[in-house]
Amino acid sequence: MPQPLQGELIRLRAREETDVDHFYRWINDWQVTKFLGARYVQSRKFESEWLASGDPGPQEARFVVETLDDQKPIGWVGLHPGFPENRTAGLGIAIGEHEFLDGGYGTDTMRTVCRFGLEMMNLHRIELSVFDWNTRAIRVYEKVGFKHEGVARDAMWKANRWHQLVHMGLLRGELR
Amino acid sequence: MSQAKAEPTSTSYAESPYEGRLIRLRAREPEDEQLLHEWFNDPEVTEHLALRYPLSHRTERGFIERMSEVRYGNASFAVETLEGRMIGGCGLEGASPENRSATLGIAIGDKAYWDGGYGTDTMRVLCRVGFEVMNLHRIELDVYANNKRAIRVYEKVGFQLEVTKRKALYKFGQYHDIHIMGLLEGELKLED
Repeated sequence: MPQPLQGELIRLRAREETDVDHFYRWINDWQVTKFLGARYVQSRKFESEWLASGDPGPQEARFVVETLDDQKPIGWVGLHPGFPENRTAGLGIAIGEHEFLDGGYGTDTMRTVCRFGLEMMNLHRIELSVFDWNTRAIRVYEKVGFKHEGVARDAMWKANRWHQLVHMGLLRGELR
Repeated sequence: MSQAKAEPTSTSYAESPYEGRLIRLRAREPEDEQLLHEWFNDPEVTEHLALRYPLSHRTERGFIERMSEVRYGNASFAVETLEGRMIGGCGLEGASPENRSATLGIAIGDKAYWDGGYGTDTMRVLCRVGFEVMNLHRIELDVYANNKRAIRVYEKVGFQLEVTKRKALYKFGQYHDIHIMGLLEGELKLED
């Protein structure tokens, strides 16, 4: 029996309003959001409404990442398709629980969500962008098969400086 | 105000930022609908644009309605010759105040104006509006990798090829690469 939402360490599930406590904590933790495009602190109300804003589907597939062994939520990941004709989706990922930043959870999440995108959503291409100084993330993306496609200069202003965004892409057949 | 200030006298302030050597930008008007409908149903015009399906008059009217208020997040223009003939459209969309960046789009729909520098002049005027009016720091655009003529124009005015998204577009039965090109404050070239 195929387990499209399950990796070796984690599984993906839909977001629930009952996830508000950890999402509220993660989105207001600079040690989490410094790696992301998110800039502003958020209220519990905002997070709660956002969590209620839709189940995973072809327009947007957002997931909670939880550990396989004890179902502990450790982060979130999402695929955001554009025009269906291009069969391309943008990928966003964050590990909210600091102690799971090492140990292969991010890598396993990447592999699981990319496999889901390719095999279940019939995507042809998955793309992402990442701060050029986030070398740990870049190494993970390379390891699972993403290729460097270029650098957008001064593409984001955050915390008093311009950032260079590395663009990476993964095509069908390249996932490792 | 205790006393009147002298009007700034720098050349760039004395001239309209919306006017170049060959073209000027103006807000879109309902009367533009007929030409837009003609152009954006012409496969020669849409070959390099993100358009696939036929467009109705109703859709064009709605587009003009949405775009006719020029503002920061939606700076959309008709391009006309200095004599007042509309030849295309362009815009800076999705401007982000924090990142001071926006995405550029341009189409010269009147094929009689495809050579002769109208596209280049439109690019220069639009980017100048982006930097000097909107206070942008970065302007970026997507261009299909096989659109060599457009890429040459973008490079001529100072854009740099930054990213090649492999097989990111499906059109005409196959996948194509898309380039992202970027232009930062201070990089716009106003002379050939």
